[in-house]
Amino acid sequence: MGESSLIWLRVAAGLYSLGLLDAIITVLRRRESLFRPALGAFGIGALFHLVSIVEQGLVQNHFPANDIFETMSLCAWVVTVAFLAIYWRYKAESLSVFVFPLVFVLTLVAALRNPVSRWQSEAVRNTWLTIHIVLALLAYAALLFTAVAAVVYLLQEKQLKKKQTRSFYRLFPPLGMLDELISRSLGAGFALITTSIIIGIVWSYIEYGTSWIDNSLITTSFVTWGIYLALVFFRVGAGWRGRKAAILAIVALCCSAITWIAHLRLESRFVQ
Amino acid sequence: MKLLVTGLSHKTAPVHLREKLAVSESALPDALHELQNLGATEAIILSTCNRVEIALSAPDHAVPGAIMDRFLTGWQGSANAFESHLYRLEAREAIQHMFRVAASLDSMVVGEPQILGQLKTAYSIAKSEGSVGGLLETVMTRAFSVAKRVRTETGIGQMAVSVSYAAVELARKIFGSLKGHSVMIIGSGKMGELAAKHLHRSGANRIFVTNRTRERAEQMAAVFSGTAVDYTRFASILPEIDIVIASSGAPHYILGREEMQRVIAARKNKPMFLIDIAVPRNIDPAVNDVEGVFLYDVDDLEGVVNSNIRERSKQAEQAEAIVVEEVERMMSRLKLDEVTPTIISLQEQLENIRASEVVRSMRKMPNLATEQQQQVKAQIEALTKSIVNKIAHGPISELRRNAGDPEGVQVIDAIRKVFHL
Repeated sequence: MGESSLIWLRVAAGLYSLGLLDAIITVLRRRESLFRPALGAFGIGALFHLVSIVEQGLVQNHFPANDIFETMSLCAWVVTVAFLAIYWRYKAESLSVFVFPLVFVLTLVAALRNPVSRWQSEAVRNTWLTIHIVLALLAYAALLFTAVAAVVYLLQEKQLKKKQTRSFYRLFPPLGMLDELISRSLGAGFALITTSIIIGIVWSYIEYGTSWIDNSLITTSFVTWGIYLALVFFRVGAGWRGRKAAILAIVALCCSAITWIAHLRLESRFVQ
Repeated sequence: MKLLVTGLSHKTAPVHLREKLAVSESALPDALHELQNLGATEAIILSTCNRVEIALSAPDHAVPGAIMDRFLTGWQGSANAFESHLYRLEAREAIQHMFRVAASLDSMVVGEPQILGQLKTAYSIAKSEGSVGGLLETVMTRAFSVAKRVRTETGIGQMAVSVSYAAVELARKIFGSLKGHSVMIIGSGKMGELAAKHLHRSGANRIFVTNRTRERAEQMAAVFSGTAVDYTRFASILPEIDIVIASSGAPHYILGREEMQRVIAARKNKPMFLIDIAVPRNIDPAVNDVEGVFLYDVDDLEGVVNSNIRERSKQAEQAEAIVVEEVERMMSRLKLDEVTPTIISLQEQLENIRASEVVRSMRKMPNLATEQQQQVKAQIEALTKSIVNKIAHGPISELRRNAGDPEGVQVIDAIRKVFHL
């Protein structure tokens, strides 16, 4: 890949990271304080991204969708342009919670295609990995809370709808409190899992060079993160509550469990 | 010391009799002093809209019933007017009654919390007038603890037993704290206003009022420091509203399912609580099917109240068991308190005899060396203490066993005589 094309792509990823930050703040604090600057950075990032794609096409002399990295880069740019167009037409700010992190992660992955030198020290390698694992476990714990709270929300909602006042229903916390718990644990979990996955991607990239992307573990992690992202979007963007939110939280929890099991099975191969 | 509780309550006398016996707060000090002048050692008067009660303690030789009669005659002209409605409870029954009253088990609405506050006020007035400070104080302070225990260990006071409070309870179940939540009152029904008042008092501080008559809306909005909204555009601000109280006289539904679907989508599915206390109903019952909307009409709220009343009576059974247990504990304590002075003086009497005999015996052995003297003294001390303890064991056990038993008085007297106490 052309060196300068990669530099433009990394600049774009840097600019997109402001969008990720905005999404995390929105989910955690439920207000879009960084949206305007993030949107600006997103627009400029899209220009650098376009330059990178065009240059890559010229250097390689083919349409730049030849491997997974190029495809991801192109895909991220298309999503960016589509979002900007939709925003320009409909002012759909809520979509940013989904689009900003997705574009950043896709661009980050695309930008990690040229191998770099291996770890300088074993200690740095292991610390890096430990941070990734700890953050992922904390994110799973937050997701567990989200799922449990979502199920209790569902039960409580059902009781209130049916106007039943059995004594055990008094034990459940109010819907408002459960909603708050779901929002907070989901927000914290999303911030944790996103940080964890970024650290994990970079670790794998340094560890395995270009072949990191073929790892099935990475794919499972991406799927889990994708579901988490969807959960966050439907919750924050679309305001899903009740049954739909509970089902989604449980699906996300199951996927996390699968990823965890996959990690446990492959751990011995990873941590040598 | 004797204890007596006399009074009238909603269970024994109609209001026109209760009001005759009622003692206003300003008259309480005089009444308490009057009771003490008539021979009561201590006195407390509880005068509320549902009960007027006088509790007093008197020395063993006095007749508390006679003190009470003289007081009622002097205070209200005659006790005869109330006689058939008055209850007179003594000793254990008096204690049990005071515990039950404090725990709100004798209240018109079982579990209501006001009675405990009223009882505490009556006690603090008596305390400041110096009319408590013995048995009655012990029982009264224990009654407060029993009330607290009942509230903590049973759910007797937790469930709403009126329609308007049931609405607040449900709103709390949906939103948690009501602080900062918004309420829209549609119409001007009395029930709606009452429910809004309770919600407002519970923290819901953004109140909107709408009415076909703009003036009426403005009047009601002023009561809650709220905002009057034009009737033609109230639906447009519904997405900002968390709780809707509908109590208008409209002969048809003013809110339908489709409208609420739009409102809830605009709220991003945040829950909404709709209280329809209008008859005929103002809100289409199908609205309850919309996700995130909780619609309760008058019958639903009544259902909640009835269920709560049933639950309260279950809790009241547990509370009665707690009261019985606490009365037993109190009685045992009082019995022991009664014989404690006799036990102490018996122990002192025997110890005095023992100590003086030890001194006398030691004087008879002047020739012993200091070391030998100390050894002998220690042996005599141990021996005499052991003898005295064994002698005292029998009478002390008898005193404890007979404490509080009317027939045991003779045994206690006999022990006092035998030991010159």
